Amino acid sequence: MTEADDHMDFDLEVEPEDAGEEALETDLGTPCLVVDDLHVVYRVIGGRAKKEAEKQGAEIHEVKVKVPFFKRLLQAGRRHVGAVSEIHAVRGVSFTVRHGESVGIVGVNGSGKSTMLRAIAGLLPPRSGTVHVSGEPSLLGVNAALMPALTGERNIMIGGLALGLTPKQVDERFDEVVEFAGIGDFVYLPMKTYSSGMGARLRFAISSSASPDILMIDEALATGDAAFKERSKARIEQVREDAGTVFLVSHSISTIEAMCTRVLWMHQGQLVMDGPVREVAEAYKNFVRAQRPGRPSMSPARRRAHLRKKAREEAEQKAAAEAEAKKAADARA
Amino acid sequence: MAPGAPAASGDAKQPPPPLVPSATSAERLALAKQHGLRPLNVRPPLGEYIRDLTKRWAFTRVLATSTAYAKNQNNYLGQLWAVLNPILNAAVYVLIFGVVLQLSRDMDNSIAFIVIGVFMYRFIEASVTGGAKSISGKTQLLRSLHFPRAVLPMSTVLSLLTTLIPAIVVMCAITLLSGFLPTYEMIHVTWWWLLLPAAVVLMWIFNTGLAFIMARLVATTPDLENVLPFIMRVVMYASGVIFPVAAKVNELQIAEPAKTILTGVLDYQPVAVYLYLVRSILMQEEQFPPSGLMWALGGAWAVLFFVIGFIVFWRGEERYGRD
Repeated sequence: MTEADDHMDFDLEVEPEDAGEEALETDLGTPCLVVDDLHVVYRVIGGRAKKEAEKQGAEIHEVKVKVPFFKRLLQAGRRHVGAVSEIHAVRGVSFTVRHGESVGIVGVNGSGKSTMLRAIAGLLPPRSGTVHVSGEPSLLGVNAALMPALTGERNIMIGGLALGLTPKQVDERFDEVVEFAGIGDFVYLPMKTYSSGMGARLRFAISSSASPDILMIDEALATGDAAFKERSKARIEQVREDAGTVFLVSHSISTIEAMCTRVLWMHQGQLVMDGPVREVAEAYKNFVRAQRPGRPSMSPARRRAHLRKKAREEAEQKAAAEAEAKKAADARA
Repeated sequence: MAPGAPAASGDAKQPPPPLVPSATSAERLALAKQHGLRPLNVRPPLGEYIRDLTKRWAFTRVLATSTAYAKNQNNYLGQLWAVLNPILNAAVYVLIFGVVLQLSRDMDNSIAFIVIGVFMYRFIEASVTGGAKSISGKTQLLRSLHFPRAVLPMSTVLSLLTTLIPAIVVMCAITLLSGFLPTYEMIHVTWWWLLLPAAVVLMWIFNTGLAFIMARLVATTPDLENVLPFIMRVVMYASGVIFPVAAKVNELQIAEPAKTILTGVLDYQPVAVYLYLVRSILMQEEQFPPSGLMWALGGAWAVLFFVIGFIVFWRGEERYGRD
C-alpha cells in the first residue's frame, strides 16, 4: 500500500495534477491584513432557525408534544409572520496576514469560510470586530453577478468598470481577458448561452483583470479544465510575486496544499488551527477521515480487505443458494 | 500504512478547540495602525464618497444603458418595445379615462393632457419602485464587488431616463396628432418646446433623490416594498395625472380655509409641479400658462430631494448588503 493510494481514498476532491506540488515559500513582509475579533451575523427574514441548527453536526429532534389548538394557531402565526432569525456564521476570528503570504481556508461545509472571506473583503458588513487592510482587496467569486442577457463583451466592460478600471483600460485588456477565459467568439453572444464552465471562466478572467493588492478566491478553481486551472494558477503566482497576498477557499485540500503556504482551519465559525500548510492539512485530513460515517475506526486498507472478504462471502452464499435451487429443480424433474 | 493500524486516533473525530489569539486586541490594532492599514466597513467621509462616486460615473452609465437594453432583449421585437410599450400604455389610459369616463372633459385637449400625465408620472413611479429594489434586489452583486453603493440607485434612474427618451418622442407625436381630431384643440410646436429637456433634467434629479431615499428605506425594511404600489396609486390620483384634481377639491363639502390649504398642497407638491411644467411647455391650454414660480419650485424640489436623498443614502453605506 503506497502513500499515494491512501490519498486516493479520501472523500475529498483530489486533482492528480496537484498531488506532490507545493507552493513556493516567499519572504514575508509587513502586515497587510489585520482581523480583530470578527463576528458576522446573518439576519434571516422569513424563517425561524432551530436553535440546534446553528450548531453544526448537532442532531435536530422533532419532539411531538400535545399543544392546545389555540396556542398552536398562535405559534403557527409566529413562524410565518414576522419571523426573523439570526445565524452567527463567524464567531470571533482574529489573525494577521503579511505581504506575500498565500493563505488557504479549510473547514467542513457551513463552517463560515466563505462568509469570513466576504467579510474580510469588505463585502459583508460584520456585526462587530474590525478588518484593517493595505490596498484594495478583491474577491474572485464564481458567483459575481453579471448580466446573463448581455453579451460577454458587454459584461467584460461592466465587470471591469465595477472593479474600478476606466473604459480605456478595459478596452486595452479586452483581448487578454477573452484569451484567458478561452471562450473565443462566444464573447459576442449573450452570457446565458454559455456553458456553466465558460461563464465561470469568463467571470474569473474579468475579476482577475485588475491586479489587486489582496486577491481572494472562493472555490473559483473548482471549475474549468486542466488547461484553465494551469493558467489561473499562474495568475495567482503572479499576484503573489507582486508582493500581494492570496486567500483561497477550496474544498480540495490538494489545491490548497499546492498553492498555499499557510492554512486557517475554521470550524463552527471559529478558528481552530492556524499554521504552516503541512501541519494543518495533515490534521484536517485526519479529521475528515474520522468523520466518514459508518466506518469510524477502520483504515482504508483494512476497509478494502473487509469489503473484499464480505464480497467473497456473499458470492459463496449466492453460489450455494443457486446450487440448492438447481438441486431442487433437478429433484422435481 | 500497514493494515490494521488505526488510521485516526479517537480525538481526530473532534476538531481542535478554538484558538486563543496570541496577541491582544489592542496589540493587533496598534500593529494595524503602525503599518498604516486602513479599516474596512467604515463609512467614508462625505467628500471622499462623492469623489469615489464621480470616478465611477462610467460604471453608472454603462450599467444603466445595459439594464435598459437587457430589458427588451428577450423579445422578438427587441428594442422596438421601448416605443411600443408607451404607445399601448397611452392608448389604454386615453380609452378608459378620456373616452369612457370623460374625466378630463374640461380640457380643450384631453388626450394630450392624459398622455403627458401618464408618461411623465410613469418616470417618477418607476424611479420609486426601481430605486426601492436597487439595493435589496442586488445582494449578490453587493457581496461580490466593491464600489460606492450610490451607483446602484443612480444607474436605476439613469436607465429609466434612457427608456424615457423614445417615450418622450412618442408623447410629443401623440400630443401633436391629437390636435387634428375634430373636437380637440389644435396644438402647435412653439419655441417653448425647447424647454422640455430642462424639465426632464429637473425630474431626473428629483427622481434620483427619491430613489436614494427608497433604496435606504427598503434595504432596512423590505416590507415597505409591498406598500409602495398603493402609495404610488394614491399619489397618481392626487397629482392630477389623469384628471385635474383641483376641480374635484372644489366639489368637496369642507370649510373654505381647508379647501385653500388642500389646493395649495396639491398644486405645489413636486409631482404636480413637474406635470405642470411639461404641460405648460407642450400644450397651449389656458389652465397651464408658463409660470416662473413653477420653474423655481421645480428647481427647488429637485435640489432638496437630491441633497437629502443622497445624505440619507450615504449614512447607511456601510450597512448595505448585510441582509
